[in-house]
Amino acid sequence: MGNLINENILIIDLSKNETSEEYLEEEFIKEHIGGAATNIALYHQYEDDDPIIIGTGILTGTLAPGGSLAVITAKSPRTGEICHAPVNLCIGAELKYSGYDYVVIKGVAEKPVYLWIHDAIADINDAEHLWEKNAWETTDTLRNDLGEALIQNLTIGEMGEKESDLAQVISNYWSSGDRWGFGALFGKKKLKSIAIRGMGLFDMEDEKGFLNLCLELLNESKNSQMAGKQGIIDIGNELDADLKEWLDPVLHRNSACFNMPYPGNTFLKNGEDPKILKETDVEEPGVLVTDIFEILGFKELGLTSKDTVQVLMECLKTGIDPVAAAQICINKEMKSVNEIIASLGNFKGPVNTTGKTAFSPCCPEKSVFNKFDNENDTQDWWVRRQKIAYVFGIHQTYSIMSPFLSEEKLLELVNIGTGLDISQEDVETVIAKL
Amino acid sequence: MKLKIDPIKCIQCCACEMACGYRWDRALSPVTSSMMVYRTREKKNYFGLILKQDENLLLARPEGIEIQRIGVVEEGVEADASAKPIMLREACDLCDGLETLLCVSYCPTGALQIGE
Repeated sequence: MGNLINENILIIDLSKNETSEEYLEEEFIKEHIGGAATNIALYHQYEDDDPIIIGTGILTGTLAPGGSLAVITAKSPRTGEICHAPVNLCIGAELKYSGYDYVVIKGVAEKPVYLWIHDAIADINDAEHLWEKNAWETTDTLRNDLGEALIQNLTIGEMGEKESDLAQVISNYWSSGDRWGFGALFGKKKLKSIAIRGMGLFDMEDEKGFLNLCLELLNESKNSQMAGKQGIIDIGNELDADLKEWLDPVLHRNSACFNMPYPGNTFLKNGEDPKILKETDVEEPGVLVTDIFEILGFKELGLTSKDTVQVLMECLKTGIDPVAAAQICINKEMKSVNEIIASLGNFKGPVNTTGKTAFSPCCPEKSVFNKFDNENDTQDWWVRRQKIAYVFGIHQTYSIMSPFLSEEKLLELVNIGTGLDISQEDVETVIAKL
Repeated sequence: MKLKIDPIKCIQCCACEMACGYRWDRALSPVTSSMMVYRTREKKNYFGLILKQDENLLLARPEGIEIQRIGVVEEGVEADASAKPIMLREACDLCDGLETLLCVSYCPTGALQIGE
């Protein structure tokens, strides 16, 4: 194991029901750095097997502020292009601490399976008992059966099993940044879930230098215009979307993805009084909104926030991209909650919610809270910030809030953390290939 | 020097776990920390912090702070499974020998602070 890197690629061959490992060579790391750029290289290496690649950045799972990001890279069933979906919560960190930097999933299983990745071991397990379970039931079952409540789980629901282009890969119970229909690829491969738990350890080349720089960047974050802001309401204000009054009847508590200084996830409750902080017996009181665009479409449709929580919960259980579902409802002028919920499993595309680039439009396409010097050409600026975030392993939305998290500082973190000597020129070469 | 916890300010980012893990291992590791983010009730969005002290477990839940004597469980009350993994770890020594508390330094919200 290297500094901040496992140097391990896990290869899952579903057709042969076999797993193997490849060593991540230093030259390969220098050539691709990590995250989405390495994913692309691995995608092309295994292109004939229609692979799904899941990768972490060098800073994923570290004390680098915002270091939560893992990236799923595959050919989108919706666009036909190779695209990247951000995955956060604790999934990236758990994958990295499980002993693998990258997972290549190729081939098609004969019958439903799930992957159980932990302690540098990967098992391909039978998932017949999980097939036809919704996404929430699947995560509950795996956590219960494997005896570990902190397992992070990428999973699909009914839509993925049906190989619908609108199927989203669900993160535990909540929305991921998958706007590409990657859930359909899971279904096509008969891959129900990827359960991950990591208990590893990473050394740093210059531990004091690395941690001091992490702290310096964190303090810049705390002293910036981000200070005191929370959740999707304050992000909405930046996007001219006033959510405060609408969300008030369901607003519970904000939380963050792994080592994300900004609590960008907001929990909404319609199953009990959202102001109660004490634990109650209500098992499923609401939903965690991880992507502000999940709710904006339903608000535009004219639903109340309580009804939006109800519909969103069904979207997540069914494993349909909520943004696409809302757009279909808008197109069909479908406003009855019962009708929407009854129809979700039959929703079909095409629906135009994929944006214009290979990076998920779940991240607002403008700076939030803090201004950047070079954001005049917004599209180019946004794409470059996404590329940097997806390569280094930084939460995609935190990257557009944090001008102090400059490319130079991120590169410095990588070099003092790993002992590698990656230059800005190397970064430019990698970025150009994305 | 004491560690003050305000669980309402916690955003479950786990930075404190990583910082504390570094205090024990001089490496990045999520499993040796004396502090754990209490996050097993994900569907309920119920979270807080557990701190292992020499003789106590300090449970900093949203509704308040509770101190449980390690090994003593009230009659008729089932021990909380969330606390199990932390029982095998080192107790918090307030970063003995360091100038500051690492968990406090890396907490982004002030949920962890130094008190007297």
